[in-house]
Amino acid sequence: MPTIEISHRDLCGLVGKNMSIEEIKDAILYAKGEVDEHSGDLIKIDIKDTNRPDLWSVEGIAREIKGRLVSGCLPKYEVKKSGIVVEIDKRLKDIRPCTVCAVVKGLDIDEDVLSQMIQLQEKVSLTFGRNRREVAIGVYDLHKIKPPIKFTTTKPDGIRFIPLEFRNRMTPKQILKKHPKGKEFSHLLDGCPEYPIFIDSAGEVLSMPPIINSDHTGKVGRLTKDLFIECSGFNLKFLMPALNVMLAALADRGGKIESVDVVYPDRKIVTPDLEPRQFTIDTGYANSVTGLGLSPKQMCRLLEKARYDVKKCGRKIKLLYPAYRQDIMHQRDVIEDILISYGYNNIEPIVPMLATIGDQGEKEKFANAVTELMIGMGFQEILSYILTSRKTLFEKMEIPEEKVVEIENVVSSNWCVFRNSLLPGLMEFLSRNKHIEYPQMVFETGDVVLLDEKAETKTKDVRKLAAVSCSSTTGYEEISGVFNALMKNLGVAYELKRAQSPGLIKSRTANIIVNGKIVGKIGEVHPKVLNNWKIDMPVAAFEIDLEKIMKV
Amino acid sequence: MNKNTAYVLTEEGERYLKEGLPEVQLAKALRKSTPMKNAQKKIDNFNIALQWAKKNGWVKIEKGNLILVNVPDTIPELDWLKKVSEGKRLTEKERKVLLSRKLIEKKSDISHEAEKFIGKHITSLTPALIKTGLWKKVKLKPYNVSAAGKQIYPGKRQPYNQFLMQVRQKLVELGFREMTGPLIELEFWNFDALYQAQDHPSRDWTQTYTLKYPKSGTLPARKITERVKAAHENGWKTGSTGWGYSWSHEKAGQLMPRAHDTAISPRYLSGHSGKIEIPGKYFNIVRCFRPDIIDATHGVEFNQTGGFVVAEDLNFRSLLGLLKQFAVEIAGAEKVRFYSDYYPFTEPSVQVSAKHPDMGWVELAGAGIFRTELTEPLGIKQPVIAWGFGIDRLAMYKLGISDIRYLFSQNLEWLRNQPIVR
Repeated sequence: MPTIEISHRDLCGLVGKNMSIEEIKDAILYAKGEVDEHSGDLIKIDIKDTNRPDLWSVEGIAREIKGRLVSGCLPKYEVKKSGIVVEIDKRLKDIRPCTVCAVVKGLDIDEDVLSQMIQLQEKVSLTFGRNRREVAIGVYDLHKIKPPIKFTTTKPDGIRFIPLEFRNRMTPKQILKKHPKGKEFSHLLDGCPEYPIFIDSAGEVLSMPPIINSDHTGKVGRLTKDLFIECSGFNLKFLMPALNVMLAALADRGGKIESVDVVYPDRKIVTPDLEPRQFTIDTGYANSVTGLGLSPKQMCRLLEKARYDVKKCGRKIKLLYPAYRQDIMHQRDVIEDILISYGYNNIEPIVPMLATIGDQGEKEKFANAVTELMIGMGFQEILSYILTSRKTLFEKMEIPEEKVVEIENVVSSNWCVFRNSLLPGLMEFLSRNKHIEYPQMVFETGDVVLLDEKAETKTKDVRKLAAVSCSSTTGYEEISGVFNALMKNLGVAYELKRAQSPGLIKSRTANIIVNGKIVGKIGEVHPKVLNNWKIDMPVAAFEIDLEKIMKV
Repeated sequence: MNKNTAYVLTEEGERYLKEGLPEVQLAKALRKSTPMKNAQKKIDNFNIALQWAKKNGWVKIEKGNLILVNVPDTIPELDWLKKVSEGKRLTEKERKVLLSRKLIEKKSDISHEAEKFIGKHITSLTPALIKTGLWKKVKLKPYNVSAAGKQIYPGKRQPYNQFLMQVRQKLVELGFREMTGPLIELEFWNFDALYQAQDHPSRDWTQTYTLKYPKSGTLPARKITERVKAAHENGWKTGSTGWGYSWSHEKAGQLMPRAHDTAISPRYLSGHSGKIEIPGKYFNIVRCFRPDIIDATHGVEFNQTGGFVVAEDLNFRSLLGLLKQFAVEIAGAEKVRFYSDYYPFTEPSVQVSAKHPDMGWVELAGAGIFRTELTEPLGIKQPVIAWGFGIDRLAMYKLGISDIRYLFSQNLEWLRNQPIVR
């Protein structure tokens, strides 16, 4: 969800209507936005739609609001030929093979225009362009470029140029190592024998995408009137809409768009393609989705406000929509625009009356009964994270390491594996509450994750109960009393058989056996484990698989 | 035996002294011959009375009739009871009879001790003082009744868990049935079956956890996977263009910690994890995982509440109606407001904010109608409303906390002192 900053005054100017901040809060819904915060002229807006890059600048937002509140129709873009040619080197094939380009002339680039252009460029390449991997956007001062332009490659220690905001010429390799943008994005060129580069007929470097522009041509400011824009990547499916989004915003600022001939090794294309796209919706289907019972005529009006060109054909509406949109896959995508134009808060909700019977999950019901009993015996319920560490599960518990489900992209070493039992979490809890009044009696019911080769997810979740009693006088007798009371009240017959279990005192540990199967263990925690956790009081504990006794 | 040992009347002894012995009562109540059935109704302790009346030779039983043989003149046991009550000594024989009938008992040493307190101020009322009646002769020290009593920490539910239980209960009352799904999930159910493209930024490793072990699992039946694949690639038969890329089985088969609760819905819609009824209302409250840095507003683990409603003729108006019902029933809202929103798996989509009487406006839920590209490949022709709550803010309000980490509090003192959620 991109968050963007815009100017209140600039927005009103583009919409052509003065709006208070309260009015903007309402109007922003037309652009699937929400005012996050505002102070003075600055408004921070969250745009919800990650599939509509055209809404990620004030120009796009204003276009939607103006369509609804002032006058709406399909935006039209006139594209003249610039005569500029960009030639693509076949050596880019496995490096960064595609680009689409355009020229925008006659701009008056003030602070608003500049800041929005930079912001849009960043947001589009970050979110829509998958952090520059799929789309990197370069904007240049046209008058500092001598066409034709070549999109080619250079060796890592090849052509030297001054990167943006630097003073010295550097080799591409040096830029990747020393320039902040080089360091941030160098992984995108990992393993490439040569790096992509835009260079003009005078041998002046425009940029090294997707990393950095040159300081000479890539600097755009107040005095710049005409721009050359390129988007580079791997797939025209991403590049075309990205370019169109940039152009639509600049066209709204008065820029005149001109096309560029992009010459690939095997074909020539002319970019941009701003011809409106076609789509058709069925008005009957639309009404079944909206529930509003709108006439085709009403729908047409609402669609026009949403920037469509409409033509009614019986029950169907033939549409044209702007080329900066790439999100329309199904009729539903258009129907949502009808609803947004109508205004969600103008719709009368109806509660669906369905005769259905509610019910809780079986595991929840049983865990609930168990919880009631444990509470009745004076135990405090706790809730821990399911993610934990090997140190907690094994090392501190004096339990030999086992295979457990393990996270690859670890954020913190405290949360890197899934717990396979609850007791370590309870010990961790006790170790954090050493200064709190004893006796401490706590328990947890929750899922642990066990490996299971046969399961579709190679794992199974098992609902368990673990309880600990910790005080100067606690011991096996106390915890087995609690356990006995629990099982008696659940009506489950069991046996305790002397056993050994790592982390528990050898002569004071038993397996819990129900119907001949081991379902848990009970015992006193080994003093070595207590030392590991720096707990100075004896701890008696049990842990049991609730699913194995649920149906007994 | 201690010389000082004295005897006192038992409760039964006290009663007989007052009301007479049961065998005497029986003898007095009988005529010459009385049918057993009738005799039984005459007095309370019939069995005891009969036993002793027979032993004394006062009555005999003939052909189901109780025959009165002899009426006693004097009742020595009554005199003996009287002697005990007056603190006089009994003979060995007398004592034996009364003890065997449990009409007297040994006066304990403690009651002797209790006698020491006669006329004094004492702190605790003891069982001996109460039993011997000596409480009449002591004075109880006054207590400071305004002081707080002894500190007690009752066993309690974890407050966040308790809150979730209440939400679960409410949803059941509203006719929703609970669903469950695995914590370790196939990307297929977490993303692909929800029509999230395989190269979508929300599937990036920065947004979700990936696993080192185990790596991949088993995809569901071919019928389901092939339709989902077609929906992604070209829209299948749904009238959609699809995402237009080549769908990978391998990617869909990878395992990951469940990143959102919506992963459970397609399992049920497809019939893979359980049968659903149409019309039907379903919910889940489950743990999810995302690689965030833990702070006051983010956790690596969190609970999500969501579900779906499936029925013929559901539309956007019914979606808004459902959300309004949730806002009133679950958040106690006075007013609701709807916002346009985006989720990759619903179209149209909406977010609802609720005006809570104390909290003000709160973002409550996100919802939408599941995309056709999602439902039709799973075999569902009817519209499906999908909804999910952001209930953690409501939980934080109910618990009176501003730091999300307290939802999983590791602080025993806080848990002990936290009032229950009402």
